[in-house]
Amino acid sequence: MKFSLKHAVIKYSDKIAINDVSLEANSGDMIFITGANGSGKSTLTKGIAGLLPLSSGTLERTQRMSYVPQIEEADKNFPAKVREIVITGRMRNGKLFYNNHDTEQANSAMKELGIYELADREIKTLSGGQLRRVFLARALCGEPELLLLDEPCAGLDAESHKILFEAINKVLSKGCAVLMVTHDNSDLDGIKAGRVITLSNGKIINERNS
Amino acid sequence: MSEILDLLTYPFVIRALIAGSLISICASILGVILVLKHYSLIGHGLSEIGFASLSISAALNISPELVSTPAVILASFVIMFVSQKYKTAGDIAIAVASSAALALGIIISSLSGNTSIMSSYLFGSVLAITQGDLIYSVVISLIVMASFVIFYNKFFLITYNEDYSRSLGINTTFYQLIISILTALIVVMGMRIMGTLLISGVIILPAVSAKVFASGFRSLVIISGVISLIAFVSGLILSFVFNLPAGAGVILANTIILIIMKVIAKK
Ligand SMILES: Nc1ncnc2c1ncn2[C@@H]1O[C@H](COP(=O)(O)OP(=O)(O)O)[C@@H](O)[C@H]1O
Ligand SMILES: [Mg+2]
Repeated sequence: MKFSLKHAVIKYSDKIAINDVSLEANSGDMIFITGANGSGKSTLTKGIAGLLPLSSGTLERTQRMSYVPQIEEADKNFPAKVREIVITGRMRNGKLFYNNHDTEQANSAMKELGIYELADREIKTLSGGQLRRVFLARALCGEPELLLLDEPCAGLDAESHKILFEAINKVLSKGCAVLMVTHDNSDLDGIKAGRVITLSNGKIINERNS
Repeated sequence: MSEILDLLTYPFVIRALIAGSLISICASILGVILVLKHYSLIGHGLSEIGFASLSISAALNISPELVSTPAVILASFVIMFVSQKYKTAGDIAIAVASSAALALGIIISSLSGNTSIMSSYLFGSVLAITQGDLIYSVVISLIVMASFVIFYNKFFLITYNEDYSRSLGINTTFYQLIISILTALIVVMGMRIMGTLLISGVIILPAVSAKVFASGFRSLVIISGVISLIAFVSGLILSFVFNLPAGAGVILANTIILIIMKVIAKK
């Protein structure tokens, strides 16, 4: 089991954003989360990542988790180089410095996602597709057992799309569980078959196989 | 030139140079974090609260560091907490509280007849740096620099994105507290030299200048520290030559550097 969410309720002050959701993933599972804007997809992902407290319900999860948030305004201004961002995927609580192995993992993740040439560029100079690949490289270099992706395909060009799907299929085949939020049904075709969960008003209203 | 070298024969000049250089470097590297996290107001708020506590310690005739260090550390916790939790409303609350503290400090100093001390705290004074202050600033600077080296990767992450840092299992509150404490320590010491009214500029300006040319976070930190050192030394010289308070000379030098950077960047 990579994560198991049972009867989760997540609130923003009084507003219920996730309402009694149960969901589980095992090794190698692929879960797609779809639903309209504001249906609670990001909230659910953050809840599983442990970034939002559950008002009720329970969460069990592996510690080896990588979370890829939606692109935020902050990333468009922050003065950091690609390599400075990618290697943070290897940071853990209690760890102070990166070692050679960390650098190697970061380098190979950048190569895998075709952004090694961008390593010394500042992230604010990247296109949306390049930045997405930076985030995925950062997530993968942490060697996760659970990968949480919040709309990784938003604004991607065809080439980035392809590279992203290849990378996701590869970690799935290594036994990593992947949960991916997506708007676009065509994303389902490029990735190994899995479950498709549809949210509406914070509840699961449909579940099917892709 | 020889006049400037002559200055180096005065022990108080040497003390000011060493203490001020170290404090300036520390202030500017912390400034990188504060600027990027949009906490630019904090230095200002803390120094005004620090001023109140210095006035109180002068009135009661107790060691200023003893009172103001814990007071400013406490204030920095409150300010960080309030500005995170309440955003803009928090900024307003901080501005209100810190100007009240400034007024309180002025009233206490005036009533207790400490107006000369008051002006040295408001505008800073290099003459005020005693042997004890020098040791205190060296120790504090070493603490700040060592913390910065040890926690560099954590500070980078917290500055970049707190949510993401927490997703890595990092205790962001703990590192926030460390950043608050370090800022408080630097403000308390820095305001003695640069003055209550100007220490926040010494924290903020080098980082803003460095942002013009730096590429990446590490280079931003290094360039910020170098700019701050250059600005301090040239500001100190300016202040001796034109007989100005040191803080004003340092801020003037920092401002000139910022303008030059912006102009070069435009070309
Ligand atoms: N920080 C927040 N504070 C208050 N309400 C929020 C916050 N973030 C999201 N919401 C609300 O929670 C609901 C779900 O949001 P979200 O999970 O971002 O949806 P999605 O990712 O599916 O577009 C929406 O109604 C949104 O307005
Ligand atoms: Mg969303």
